[in-house]
Amino acid sequence: MQRLRVFLTGVGGQGTLTSTRLLALAAMDSGLEVVSGEIHGMAQRGGVVESTVLVGGFASPKISPGEADVLLGFEPLEAWRALPMLREGGFAAVSTDPIPPLSSALQREPYPAMADIAARIREWAGRAVFVPCHDLAVKAGNPQSANTVLLGAACAAGVFPFGVEVLEAAIRTHLPPKIVDVNVTALRLGAQSLDS
Amino acid sequence: MGRELLDRAAGARHFLLGNEAVVRGALEAGVDVVTCYPGTPSSEIPDTFFRLSPDGPYRFEYSVNEKVALEVGAGASLAGAATLVTMKHVGVNVAADPLLTLAYVGSPGGLVLVSADDPGCHSSQNEQDNRWYARLAGLPCIEPSTAMECKDFVREAFALSKQLGHPVLVRTTTRVNHVRGPVAFAALPEKTPPPPFVKNPPRYVPLPVSARAMRLALLKKLDALADMADASPLNRVSGEGTVGFVASGICRAYLRDVLFDEGLEGSVKVLDLGFSHPLPRNLIAGFAQGLTRLVVLEEVDPIVENEIRALFQRRGIACEVVGKGGALPRFGEYSTDIVRGAVRAALDLPPVAAKLCAVPGDLPRRPPNMCAGCPHRATYHAARKVFGDEPVYSSDIGCYTLGIQPPFSAADFLFCMGSSVSAGSGFASASGRPVVAFIGDSTFFHSGITGLINAVANNHDLLLVILDNRTTGMTGHQPHPGVDHTIFGEFSSKVDLAGLVRACGVTPVRVNPFNHGATTAALADLKDKPGVRVLIAEAPCPIHARKVKIARKTPPAAVTGDPAKCLQCRDELACPAFVMVEGVFAINAEACSGCMYCVQLSPEIKARRKDG
Repeated sequence: MQRLRVFLTGVGGQGTLTSTRLLALAAMDSGLEVVSGEIHGMAQRGGVVESTVLVGGFASPKISPGEADVLLGFEPLEAWRALPMLREGGFAAVSTDPIPPLSSALQREPYPAMADIAARIREWAGRAVFVPCHDLAVKAGNPQSANTVLLGAACAAGVFPFGVEVLEAAIRTHLPPKIVDVNVTALRLGAQSLDS
Repeated sequence: MGRELLDRAAGARHFLLGNEAVVRGALEAGVDVVTCYPGTPSSEIPDTFFRLSPDGPYRFEYSVNEKVALEVGAGASLAGAATLVTMKHVGVNVAADPLLTLAYVGSPGGLVLVSADDPGCHSSQNEQDNRWYARLAGLPCIEPSTAMECKDFVREAFALSKQLGHPVLVRTTTRVNHVRGPVAFAALPEKTPPPPFVKNPPRYVPLPVSARAMRLALLKKLDALADMADASPLNRVSGEGTVGFVASGICRAYLRDVLFDEGLEGSVKVLDLGFSHPLPRNLIAGFAQGLTRLVVLEEVDPIVENEIRALFQRRGIACEVVGKGGALPRFGEYSTDIVRGAVRAALDLPPVAAKLCAVPGDLPRRPPNMCAGCPHRATYHAARKVFGDEPVYSSDIGCYTLGIQPPFSAADFLFCMGSSVSAGSGFASASGRPVVAFIGDSTFFHSGITGLINAVANNHDLLLVILDNRTTGMTGHQPHPGVDHTIFGEFSSKVDLAGLVRACGVTPVRVNPFNHGATTAALADLKDKPGVRVLIAEAPCPIHARKVKIARKTPPAAVTGDPAKCLQCRDELACPAFVMVEGVFAINAEACSGCMYCVQLSPEIKARRKDG
């Protein structure tokens, strides 16, 4: 099968690692070879969280610059920062909800304009989708499910070797029962967001 | 991953973190005793054992430091227990004293030491290569590269250790500890009671007269181990050709992926080295036959490389050895990128450069920061108010090292766990400058206490601030001897931190750092006193408090007055709950923890009313 390298980036507390696990479990549940990696020493301290999912028989959990086929950016500035990881012409799914780093929140360093971030990502990626994850997660019932919205959008774009229903099954199998419904709704809203 | 790890049956396949797979491997080996000191990237091993400990067939402890962990483990193994000891790479330095005699005395019940190295310094103060310790201490070294191998190799390490009554080092690296991959379970064994310990002092007490004999026995054992490494299924040869690669640890994964990407699978020779010390001499000599060039892929130091060079020299093998230098650096992690360069160069293929997207270098950075509601921020703020830039700040290892960042700039030097007190003492006595040392509660128990005893006994002059957040914050909120609560409720065998300080000869001053007035007053009072002074700033880490369910619900803060008058407070605290909304200062209610510290700094900030 076609091998696939997915690079995920976000900010501590966004659920980037939960999404990473879910994506990898969905791949494993559909009988694919999968390996995943994460760097999270200081994640709890509001730092950047980067992780990987590699499908189709890779041994290494690490992605070198320019190797990722898919970039999932749970935070727009971090998506831009991680763009060197994506191969030219790759696919990017990016949340449009900025989490300004402290220096930007305190207006010492300006947070880049969303339009600039989107333009830079569109220039490099062969295809990019920008998803209002927060709003859709609120619609799903919990802003904490914003990460699942992005996963749904990327999956509906057809970049994974399985469909949204496989991710939905993975949510039902692997997430704690009390957050299953909201995450299934978030996944579907993310998937539908591509239609509009 | 939860209780599935304790499933007795074989057959299930789970998606595990490398560290969780280590746990399963130890369980499949029938582990009896687990000791550790936590530290990234090793921490999920002990944390998983701890979480499962009410139902797990083993005795578990968070030891007070790595030396103690290894000594408790060594004793348990003498008593016949199959023992796992885990720590991060720099922890092995702390445990080096027992480690270097451990292989003399032996480990009859089996003892596996997991050293989690951190090439690239993702979360460490150095990137030392602990495979040296295997050489220094006479331990076999085993290096897994996948989640499945984390389980299988740990089980193999136990089998080897039990068979020889000899300790075994399992060396992992951050990428392996934090890989996730599918792991197929074997069954858990039925445990049989070990043979009783038979007193035999010449065998177990390394008096000089016995130690000489023990050293000879160890050298003999290492020879036998080299033969075992030759035959070990952990070392595998594949492929054909005149160019060969010897790879260990995660480099094996990079090599495999590169050979696939480049369509070179099978057309070069590969030695997957899983059992890397003692070097499988005969296996490597045989592997080199027909090779014109041999490339060694290992992260950090050129250990296997130099051993192979020495082997070739001794045996007159004329094969070019390619190792560190050029394309293969001595620092940081390897990658598919680096290995691709080495593979192509070895095959005399032109280099390829991936086309990369250029990103501006001045994007706003996102450094880690102390959390909203972190008591350390309050202590650092008070210390800055009282001391400013005058003293030299001696820092230590924990979340509070983040105090290095502005606006606090409260870390001027640092060596290792516990060094704040002793290095601060030395600096003060040699320079005559005032020194304020910061240390966390867990780090104080770990190795700060000896520095304090030393400071008192040698009449040093410094102020020690113990940032007591009632847990081990940085590594994931593990208990230490002074905690009140663990995830299993109240902690009954608590050691009193203030009493310990008092017993060292210093009457500590205790404050709640969130009380700004009391903390600055206490610091001002201690400022001009001579000798060793100790302030204990005590307030629980808010994340820990939530985990153990002792957090009090407090309303968040809000700007009720003039936001323009809050800017000094904003700049002095740099709390992550502070935001500027269209140029106006505000407090993000969702991010604010309700610590009420800023409320004491600015009359424009108040606790948010329920209806607001």
